[in-house]
Amino acid sequence: MEKVRVLLVDDEPSFTRMLKLNLEKRGFTVMVENNGAYAYTVAQDFMPDFIFLDVIMPDVDGGEVAAKLRRDPNFKDTPIVFLTAGVSREATKAKGNIIGGQQYLAKPVTVDEVVATIEKVMKKKTKATPASPRG
Amino acid sequence: MATPRVEPLAREVPIDEVRSRLEAILEISNDGILVVSLDGTILAWNRAAEQIYGYRADQIVGKPLTTLVPPDRLHELSEIYPGVARGGVIDQFETVRVRRDGVHIEVSLSIMPIRDRNGRVTSALIIMRDITAAQLALQEAAQSSEKLSDRERMLKRALVALRESHERAKSAQLQLVQAAKLESIGRLAAGVAHEVKNPLAVILFAVDYLAESIPNPDGNIQVALTDAREAVGRADSVIRGLLDFSTATELSPSEQDVNKLVRRSLQLVRHSLTKSHVFAVEEMEEGLPSAMLDRNKIEQVFVNLMINAIDAMPTGGTLIVRTRRDRLTVMGSDVGVRKTDRFQVGQSVIVVEIEDTGTGIDETARPRLFDPFFTTKPPGKGTGLGLAVCKTIVALHGGTIRIGNKEGGGGARATVVLHGIRSKEGQSDGEGAGPTRR
Repeated sequence: MEKVRVLLVDDEPSFTRMLKLNLEKRGFTVMVENNGAYAYTVAQDFMPDFIFLDVIMPDVDGGEVAAKLRRDPNFKDTPIVFLTAGVSREATKAKGNIIGGQQYLAKPVTVDEVVATIEKVMKKKTKATPASPRG
Repeated sequence: MATPRVEPLAREVPIDEVRSRLEAILEISNDGILVVSLDGTILAWNRAAEQIYGYRADQIVGKPLTTLVPPDRLHELSEIYPGVARGGVIDQFETVRVRRDGVHIEVSLSIMPIRDRNGRVTSALIIMRDITAAQLALQEAAQSSEKLSDRERMLKRALVALRESHERAKSAQLQLVQAAKLESIGRLAAGVAHEVKNPLAVILFAVDYLAESIPNPDGNIQVALTDAREAVGRADSVIRGLLDFSTATELSPSEQDVNKLVRRSLQLVRHSLTKSHVFAVEEMEEGLPSAMLDRNKIEQVFVNLMINAIDAMPTGGTLIVRTRRDRLTVMGSDVGVRKTDRFQVGQSVIVVEIEDTGTGIDETARPRLFDPFFTTKPPGKGTGLGLAVCKTIVALHGGTIRIGNKEGGGGARATVVLHGIRSKEGQSDGEGAGPTRR
């Protein structure tokens, strides 16, 4: 089975470095971008199956990156999950991890939770579009 | 009026002198004096009467007394004078008479009979005083007194309004201070959350990575990794508390069954109950009115209070969770008759009580229980934000929360009072209360 390609966009290099190490250990192919302004270009090159976006970033924030990606038909259906440090985990549970129609994870989060989120979202996507091949 | 005592005239005083004395009295008197025959003809008329009525003596003597009486008062003559003719005396009879210029004046009349040598009543002496000015003064005094009373009433009302307005201003000021505190804590929380949660996430990922990368970790490594994870958890809970505290102002209320929320909260703390050997007792009154509540936030309150109660019984005990419907009958700091009062006298409310069988609360700690960052728990166990969050949430629902020791000791009791909206039979309780969305 082909490895799931995950793009991590977060302005905190140590965060993306640690998450990358963990996800690669769990069998994912991971690309990291620490500048929101370059996220779209990196996505075009990398063609991820799944994108984690930090919400608060200098220059270009997660919301703007997501909007730009969604305008591109190539990423119209690519799952995007936001990673935020601005919401409590209680609120995350209460709101079903969804704010404004977007799914998110509240930092700090365990690797198990990150992996479970990827698997759950990918499973849902496969069910919704069974015939749609990646890329 | 008693008959005036007149010194018997000395026999030797000549009759002319007597007449002269009487005439002097008549002329010098400030009261109008006239003599009327029994058939009502004016026989004598002094200077004061002239000043009062405007008639000179030569204009009025010989005329009937009715000249001075307004038509609507003529009946007085037949009521008064027959009695005088029989020897009766009238003392200070207040009535109305007419001046020569047609103006009505208020007078006070004293009438007494005049007798002849044989004691037979031959005529009547009338002494009259113009009391128009006095009556006017009295009326003005009465009006002034009425005005004064009105002003006093107005002042009293103004004072009450002023007191109420002062109370409202005080309460608004407290709310503003609280809102300002919340706002600054909120801003602080958002900033701290972002700056602290990222490093915490890095530490957690690093710990996860090490845990998976070390093939056969010895006991010490496992302890180190577990401690690091727990430390992250503790730091995160402080940040979480701050965020919850700052976002406690947003409510999403819907109609809720309080008993269901309490039972679900009990389920959420079941693990803590088992771990601490605490036995839970439910005393729920069925058929409670439903309430407009933000389910998650009120559950957060109940869970918080239950966890506090469990923490107060480290060697085990009993957690009693009680719900009931109560009718407020006594005025208090939150119960009154004004619209601004949190609860109205006579209102039916939902009461939730959470009791423990621990050692109770130190009286010195009680006033600070709801202060942010105040905790009686050991370091690392409590953030000191739980009860502050609870109070904010309950207050936003228009309710109250208080914590104290049980009567007779043997543990503490947290009491949450909430507005009910409807009875089970579908009848409105009429309070119309409940939270407003903010």
